[in-house]
Amino acid sequence: MLIPPDIGAGQEASVLGRTSPLVKLGLALAWLIGLATTLHVLPPVLLAIAALVAGLSLGQVPPRSLGGALAPLVVAAASIAIANLLFSGSNTDPTATQLARLGPFRITREAADVALALGARVLAIVSVGVVFAQTTDPTRLVDALVQQARLPARFAYGALAAYQAVPRLGEDLTTLRQARRIRGLGGAWHPRLLVGLLVRAIRHADQLALAMDARAFDSGPRSTYRPITWGWRDVAIGLGGLALLVAALSR
Amino acid sequence: MLLVVGPSGSGKSTFARAIAGLVPRDVPGEWRGSLRVGDLETSTALPADVAARVGILFQDPGSQLVMERAEDDVAFGLENRAWPLPAMRARVPESLAAVGLAGLERQRGSRLSGGQQQRLALAGVEAPRPSVLVLDEPTANLDPGGARTLFDRLARIRADRRATIVLVEHRADLAWPLADLVLALDGGGAPLDIGTPAEILAQSGERLAAAGIWLPSDLVGEAVPRARVAPHAPVGPPNDDALITDHLRFEYEPGRPVVRDVDLRIAPGERVALVGPNGSGKSTLLRLVAGLLRPRFGSVSLAGRDPARVKPARLAMLAGYVFQDPELGFLADTVSEEVRLGLDAAAAVRAIELMDRLGMPLQRFGSRSPYQLSGGEQRRLSVVTALARAPRLLVLDEPTFGQDRNGWEALAGIIEELVEDGTAVLVATHDERFARRVARRRVEMADGWIVADDGPGGRSAGPFATRRGVRTAAPAPELAPTPGQA
Repeated sequence: MLIPPDIGAGQEASVLGRTSPLVKLGLALAWLIGLATTLHVLPPVLLAIAALVAGLSLGQVPPRSLGGALAPLVVAAASIAIANLLFSGSNTDPTATQLARLGPFRITREAADVALALGARVLAIVSVGVVFAQTTDPTRLVDALVQQARLPARFAYGALAAYQAVPRLGEDLTTLRQARRIRGLGGAWHPRLLVGLLVRAIRHADQLALAMDARAFDSGPRSTYRPITWGWRDVAIGLGGLALLVAALSR
Repeated sequence: MLLVVGPSGSGKSTFARAIAGLVPRDVPGEWRGSLRVGDLETSTALPADVAARVGILFQDPGSQLVMERAEDDVAFGLENRAWPLPAMRARVPESLAAVGLAGLERQRGSRLSGGQQQRLALAGVEAPRPSVLVLDEPTANLDPGGARTLFDRLARIRADRRATIVLVEHRADLAWPLADLVLALDGGGAPLDIGTPAEILAQSGERLAAAGIWLPSDLVGEAVPRARVAPHAPVGPPNDDALITDHLRFEYEPGRPVVRDVDLRIAPGERVALVGPNGSGKSTLLRLVAGLLRPRFGSVSLAGRDPARVKPARLAMLAGYVFQDPELGFLADTVSEEVRLGLDAAAAVRAIELMDRLGMPLQRFGSRSPYQLSGGEQRRLSVVTALARAPRLLVLDEPTFGQDRNGWEALAGIIEELVEDGTAVLVATHDERFARRVARRRVEMADGWIVADDGPGGRSAGPFATRRGVRTAAPAPELAPTPGQA
């Protein structure tokens, strides 16, 4: 999850890819808040389907990438639902309607309702997040945050540069673990690895800060190589997304 | 062009950073004296004013790329100086083309080779047209081919005479012919001499060599003595070999093998140099034979065991490993703990003796943190920890990167004298001179294949392997010639 997904040229050139990341971000937030107001199962399921269909059509996300990114998160959503189904407090409530009995577990209708609603909600959130990540180039997100949301460039591009360095830290961790093994020490996840990793992170950060400083970062007014302007796409996607939310909630 | 030379720890990098105004602004310390670029005092000037005149290229190609894509990274420096958009749109492709990266505008920096990354970084530094260009050991992480391409570009910048170049560089054979002036620093950071290359060589060549500075004559003319180690005589059945790999294959991503069908046999006590360009699979092969990666196909036998399946304690007896970046191999808080880590009493005594022989006695170094040592000291400590258990195979990954003459000699000396007779050595290196000095046998890789092996006859390459070698040698990238021929 920490490694940025590679956005293909098709996704970048798609309608969703060219929509301002801020619109997508705002819409995702609106859907999230909207979902919090309902405990029904249908609205989140509808929104999840809407997000995935939009990702595949308007976003040109290859079904394989979408499935690959979604699979582990769907498992997570399912396990949340199952945990709630099995360990819900209403299962011990003698007045609740019993649906089934699985060994030591008594499962009630109330618990099943809550589990289903929770699972559906997590599924919706996850779908929206994956479609956002799969149609949004990190560089473009930061450009939009700086140009359209007026976030300070120092903070935004600094964070972006640090984000690019994450895969390097992953490689360092692999080598640190190999170093333990070749020195005769077990413990592939020994806490001591954190010290080595911290040293590396500081070294990378130092080097990056020097390189950015040497290239006059944050030294005065800045121009932009990738201008982002508002357009009809942003209005259409924004309004369409809100309409979907209202339609889903009114079910 | 000014070339700055000096042994490790002579303050070359600090000097380079001071020109770019990064010292003392970003690096704490005590600052005295004056450094001016044009009429600008770099220690007190506004960062923007210094950055407008000076561009600096660092050693590590990966860690100086700020943006994800090539063209965005080149544009980064221009945006920071508020260039108007049309000017940027014209300048960015021009800068990329100048370093030979035309057509890779949308490529992700992380997908480029080390040499390409370094040229991309150079394009970003050059794009705003600085009047002073500072390069701090720009080729330290590059293979000979990558280094030469970078120097071709430097030669053209120098010929254009648009920028003053200040170059810190160990690779004397490439750097000296380009220099107008040479500044030599001693171990304490004081100037030894400054003058034209010819003057310096005539006046103080010997003093420079004694201070640990590489000279162009080290790499040209003078014949490097072949390894002093007795030639390996194949004795006993091949099963006694220290290392046997059989059709070894490995891929990080499905369908993109980085090591292909490698059959390699190394006898006990044999010293083998593994050469080839960046990305040819050398480091991966080293990790496979040391049991740090599990092969996708084929097998590794290290003294009769599969190193990827033995317990760590057993693996440590079989193989010692000196990582390319020694810092990644350190596991303890102090040098003293690091040296003794996991060793029994006898091995610990041996390790402490080794530290003495390498000029790092524990009395003086024991209480320091391994992370605070200089690069050369870290490398030596790493070698000690790898050798302490007298493993059957010692693996070294680019041990001479950024080493000055003294560090280089020390390393060559260790391999010649300190490695026990029965220990086989496999060293991956771009340094042909080092390869010739310490190894009797040279194995060359390209694109994951072994394409050349001057080891004892058919032992390492059967008729089948030879045929395959010949077939794949033709399309392989240009193989690195020795610095002596360059």
